[in-house]
Amino acid sequence: MSAAVITGVGVVSAFGVGARAFFGGLSEGRSAITQIRSFDASAFPTRVAGEVPVITVDGSWLRSQLVGSSAAADSRLDEYEQRGAFRDRKVGFGLLAAAEAWRAARCGEAEKEAWLSLALGLEQAFLEDFAPLSAAGGVDWAAPPQTALPRVRLRSRLDLCAEVLGRYFELRGPSLVNASACAAGALAVAHAASLIERGAASIVLCGGADSMLNPLGLGGMSRLLAPSPRNELDACRPFDRRRDGLVIGEGAAMFVVESAERAQRRNVRPLARILGWGSTQDAYRATAPRPDGSAASRAIQRALARARLGPEAVGYINAHGTGTPLNDEAEAIAIRAALGAHADHVPVSSIKGALGHLMAASGAIELAACLLPFERGLLPGTAHHRDRDPRCDVSVIGERPLAARVEVVLKNSFGFGGQNASIVLGRAVT
Amino acid sequence: MKRGAPPIVVSGAAALSAFGFGWRGLGRALRDRALKPAVSTQLQESHAGVLASELASIPAAVDVGDARTQKLMSRAARLGAVAVKQALDDAGWADAREEIGCFFGVGASGGSMTELREMLRASRDDAGFSLTRFGSAGLAACSPLFAFQLMNNFTLCHAAIQSGVAGPNSAFYSRGNGTLVALAEAAHALSEGDCARALAGAADTALHPVTFAELVREGRAQNGFVPGEGAGVLALTREAEQPLAVLEHCGFRGPGLAPSELVRELLEGVDGLEVDLVVLAPWGASARATLREAAEARFAGAALLDISLGLGDSLAATPALAWVAALDLLVSGEAERALILNAGTDAAVGAVLLGRPT
Repeated sequence: MSAAVITGVGVVSAFGVGARAFFGGLSEGRSAITQIRSFDASAFPTRVAGEVPVITVDGSWLRSQLVGSSAAADSRLDEYEQRGAFRDRKVGFGLLAAAEAWRAARCGEAEKEAWLSLALGLEQAFLEDFAPLSAAGGVDWAAPPQTALPRVRLRSRLDLCAEVLGRYFELRGPSLVNASACAAGALAVAHAASLIERGAASIVLCGGADSMLNPLGLGGMSRLLAPSPRNELDACRPFDRRRDGLVIGEGAAMFVVESAERAQRRNVRPLARILGWGSTQDAYRATAPRPDGSAASRAIQRALARARLGPEAVGYINAHGTGTPLNDEAEAIAIRAALGAHADHVPVSSIKGALGHLMAASGAIELAACLLPFERGLLPGTAHHRDRDPRCDVSVIGERPLAARVEVVLKNSFGFGGQNASIVLGRAVT
Repeated sequence: MKRGAPPIVVSGAAALSAFGFGWRGLGRALRDRALKPAVSTQLQESHAGVLASELASIPAAVDVGDARTQKLMSRAARLGAVAVKQALDDAGWADAREEIGCFFGVGASGGSMTELREMLRASRDDAGFSLTRFGSAGLAACSPLFAFQLMNNFTLCHAAIQSGVAGPNSAFYSRGNGTLVALAEAAHALSEGDCARALAGAADTALHPVTFAELVREGRAQNGFVPGEGAGVLALTREAEQPLAVLEHCGFRGPGLAPSELVRELLEGVDGLEVDLVVLAPWGASARATLREAAEARFAGAALLDISLGLGDSLAATPALAWVAALDLLVSGEAERALILNAGTDAAVGAVLLGRPT
């Protein structure tokens, strides 16, 4: 059985493009929530977000961020731009994050045998394309391909980002797209580790990309009343007594995960070991988490059991921590049920106050945040958390990061619909 | 399958298709009867006259949830929830459902067009569509729970919620191979002991107006493409007193090689590759010829059944329906060992080997 290690990471977030910007923002305890600028959201119920600081994602912006692309890769980029692929913002974010991870892990020709295991958000429905057709007296559904429809994308395919990555990097392994909502990011990385462990693959490019910062995405979430009704920059306050909803974010985090032997053979420094993972289903309600946290707690216990670790081994928990009244309380109960008395001593934080909820990519970007303790000896803070809710009976780290040396971290991701995932990382053996 | 581990067996199944709401008889019906597509009722407004392979109305006796819950569900989610309930019943798994795993292949989002239309209507001002009007009035014109119809993981989640299935789980987006991945993960979860029982399957529809429009736009709705819908589920376990079949192999490969090479690679190392039935599960018309060619080259003596010819293209659900059709032919004694091959538009190929229990 091979151990799975992370050897490269790439991030695109509201802090900017690149892992350096991401770790820098977290290390300084900053929040990147801003007014939405990529489209006119002034009449929307929700007007703030963790938005990647770029108005338009297009080929020219992507080329400016991608260094050292081959001519063949550039030509594929052109092809996808002509097909309108980058209108779906997550496609470009996923590509940039993957390119950074690929470069950081010093991947070359031999690594093109990699599998892909990605968490991708919903297809992006192009409301603005529906609208003119609708206004003209009804959608011209039956228009032959060469007339109206090529100019109009009713939605982008969910796995478009996987296709772009596969072709850009010329990957030869299978492509797996996890569609488990907010649990997908953690599950996609866990799946990568599992493929390594069982010997099915020796290297996997994995992670998540999502953007709901488009009219239908933002509108749909607003209509659900999931976002905070306040349009303040501190709208998301995880585990805080005054919390009243989430803030939507966008971006991507990608990892190169490979067997420890392969990393050693390539002389690539592991950033962390993936020790365990577990998943469960609330099987409760479509609209709310199970309030007793029992299913989420079992996901944590499964992850620790797979890692062959007891609760006392956990040194830090990166929570799902959405800042919604129901989630945070249920998660705190789940943590306490899984860790028992040790929960009193484990620092817990959520980065959603600083970067928003990246939905399908949330588990991936928050897993990237779990590298901060190993790389810089810092536990990320919880932006805008000032007054802990006593019903969230866990040791929440405040707004500033906490200096600490930990050996094992736990990441929770809980999805709409009740899908729960937990994953355990360990400090790399040097 | 993990070497040395107890075999994974099929304890129950479910299938929802144009042939009805049950799995027994599906394989035989597909073998004996040709598809008789009819003008789609679901596409009537958007694509009038399109011939489709459509399910009849879901009978109340097999349906799940109350009217409010059903309104939350996309078509695929509802089919998935009914199929999971049927598979659990078929396997007789009434107890300890919180430990049952559930792995699903899911397709595209399927929001209600009525909701979308109301939203767009309320978003127009004198100049046409207005983003401002959309924000201030259009959103309020649709159901607050519209977003839940759009989330395609709910194809799995509604099934879990309705049936109380709460073990390890994952939803994989599928244009063919994701459904195979779901089966492989269910098998792995069983082999690893993550759960003792698991459901693997898929539910999908090509009959959502946006899905069909995108298939047309991508040039896939041609060459005999008949849009279909359905759901298929296998109930898998490591131990059963009277198993229906043994899951002998499950794997996928690609892209990068010719399909025949992928099939050869896939089946390397599988013991005694003698099969008397090959079931094809192509996603889209182009995959059909590819799979047929690969199957005929490698398994010339075996009976060949292409389920898309009988059921139309049910997208993510096609491979799962193929497993269940093969199961029917095994259980009815008409085949001893069946190989089910799937291929999608992502140039990947998957293979499942089901055998009669000894």
